[in-house]
Amino acid sequence: MKNSKVLIGILGIIVLGILLFLLNLFVGSVTIPFGDIVKVLLKENTDNTLNVIIFDYRLPQALTALLAGAALAVAGLLMQTLFRNPLADPSMLGISSGASLGVGLVILLTGAISGAAISSFGWWSTVGVSLAAFIGAVAVLFIMLAFSARMKNMTTLIIIGLMIAYLAGSITDILKFFSLKEDIHAFVIWGMGSFSGVGTSKLLIFSISIIIGLFATFFLSKNLNILLLGEMYAENLGLNIKRNSVIIILLSGYLTAIVTAYCGPIAFVGLAMPHIARFLFKSSDHRLLIPATMLIGMDLTLFCILIARMPGFDGNLPINAVTAFIGAPVVISVIMKSRKQ
Amino acid sequence: MSDILKTISLTIGYGDKTVVSDINVTLGKGDIIALIGPNGAGKSTLFKTFSSHIKPIGGKIELCGKDISLYSNKERAKLLGIVLTERPDDMFLKVFDVVAAGRYPYTDMFGNLTENDENEIKASLELVGIKNLIDRVFNTLSDGEKQKVMIAKAIAQNTPVIMLDEPTAFLDYPSKIELFSLLKRLAKEQEKTIIFSSHDLELLLRYTDNLWILAKDKPFVSGKSQQLLKDGVIKDYFGIKDSDNEFLLKENV
Repeated sequence: MKNSKVLIGILGIIVLGILLFLLNLFVGSVTIPFGDIVKVLLKENTDNTLNVIIFDYRLPQALTALLAGAALAVAGLLMQTLFRNPLADPSMLGISSGASLGVGLVILLTGAISGAAISSFGWWSTVGVSLAAFIGAVAVLFIMLAFSARMKNMTTLIIIGLMIAYLAGSITDILKFFSLKEDIHAFVIWGMGSFSGVGTSKLLIFSISIIIGLFATFFLSKNLNILLLGEMYAENLGLNIKRNSVIIILLSGYLTAIVTAYCGPIAFVGLAMPHIARFLFKSSDHRLLIPATMLIGMDLTLFCILIARMPGFDGNLPINAVTAFIGAPVVISVIMKSRKQ
Repeated sequence: MSDILKTISLTIGYGDKTVVSDINVTLGKGDIIALIGPNGAGKSTLFKTFSSHIKPIGGKIELCGKDISLYSNKERAKLLGIVLTERPDDMFLKVFDVVAAGRYPYTDMFGNLTENDENEIKASLELVGIKNLIDRVFNTLSDGEKQKVMIAKAIAQNTPVIMLDEPTAFLDYPSKIELFSLLKRLAKEQEKTIIFSSHDLELLLRYTDNLWILAKDKPFVSGKSQQLLKDGVIKDYFGIKDSDNEFLLKENV
């Protein structure tokens, strides 16, 4: 593909992203005229309701969505290249399952110990849930890192990741079995994923953590490119296989853990976005795929929250229902296309 | 002539399971060696040991005058290139990209190619005679073409030693002959030291001078192919019947 075409493609995705971002600011249960939004953004507005809607709800949600989308999409790309498996995604590391287990422990055990549902603890409950998800995710991440530092074979690593995911899942199920009804409800809601939980107060930390991770992935493009030839070739070309897989898993796991902690387990973004990037640019070069996958991830999540906020859904449509609804057909079409080749 | 690759009482295997012991060989610039032996005799083990994928159980390997384990990954990548039977399998990877991977040890941290790198890539493709395939998607090539691309990758890697694991497997007869001639040309004109494994015994006897023979529970043997045939070593190692061996001798010596 010619450089000019690549540039046009990237610009197109960016313009689409900006449009979706702006749409996110004024579409919702309250439609705000465009002129008023500009006033709010320029801080020339005096109507407090509008300020609250924009600055406390829509803007943080849109920023969370686009950062989470970029993070999950690129985490998926790293996994697919590392495992040389087109169906790999961050959940293969067992990280979302680890996060679920962490949240499960907190939500379900609070009820069992104190006899009251976690939601009755107010602000503490949201911080507790994020923290539990992060600890659960990082615990599984370290287990996976310990395994990846010991083995060169990626297939065995995938199997171990899946087994850990199942293990964490079954413990979560056992916890659920012994829990209060309200707690299970709270847990199910968390599991559906949401970009509105970050809010203004936590947005800064969330953004900085994600941006650091996204920036770091750019330095992996060279190693990811030679991994496409297979581990044996990559090793012969001078790549330290074990160290490289530790770094890739660490970075992919870090991004996934942060997003999962703040937004819950978001499915499909990590699996589907890298495929769209590859097919759109017909390229395997990670110097292009990394930024392209991030930008496409941003567009998709912005589109998803827009759909979830359409009249009639009132913003309550679970984000995972929307991402899967858009992601699944993409994955199917990619598989069908690759069979033809 | 200085030694490029030398083994000193090298013992290879996995963990504490010895596969072949006491290998003593020396290779110089432009030497070309065919490695033969039945499956399971240790050909892949020897390849993996030479490429430092696994450690030797005993003895040592000297590459360009220095113990191979003393090189960093990157230094070694500039001295020894490999061509495997395993093929990249990616939907959009182009021939250019595969050969460009050979430049990995030489490029900057983002893998940006300089003009010199691009010239090396084109020259490598030219050398193996597939410059016309440069923009093709690797996956759409024939087995013979893929093999040549992987060899071009090894040439772009610019190493004095190239090792090829069964490069003639999956190839039709004319492609096999073409490959033998290409390897000989690389050894002669580019002064590459080439080691390759193969099962095509009759072709090896006809087109190669030097053989290494590996067999289960037998010592490692190296020598001139014609001499090994005359001395009955080939007959011994491959379990060829006396009458058939006479036929082989008559046809090949």
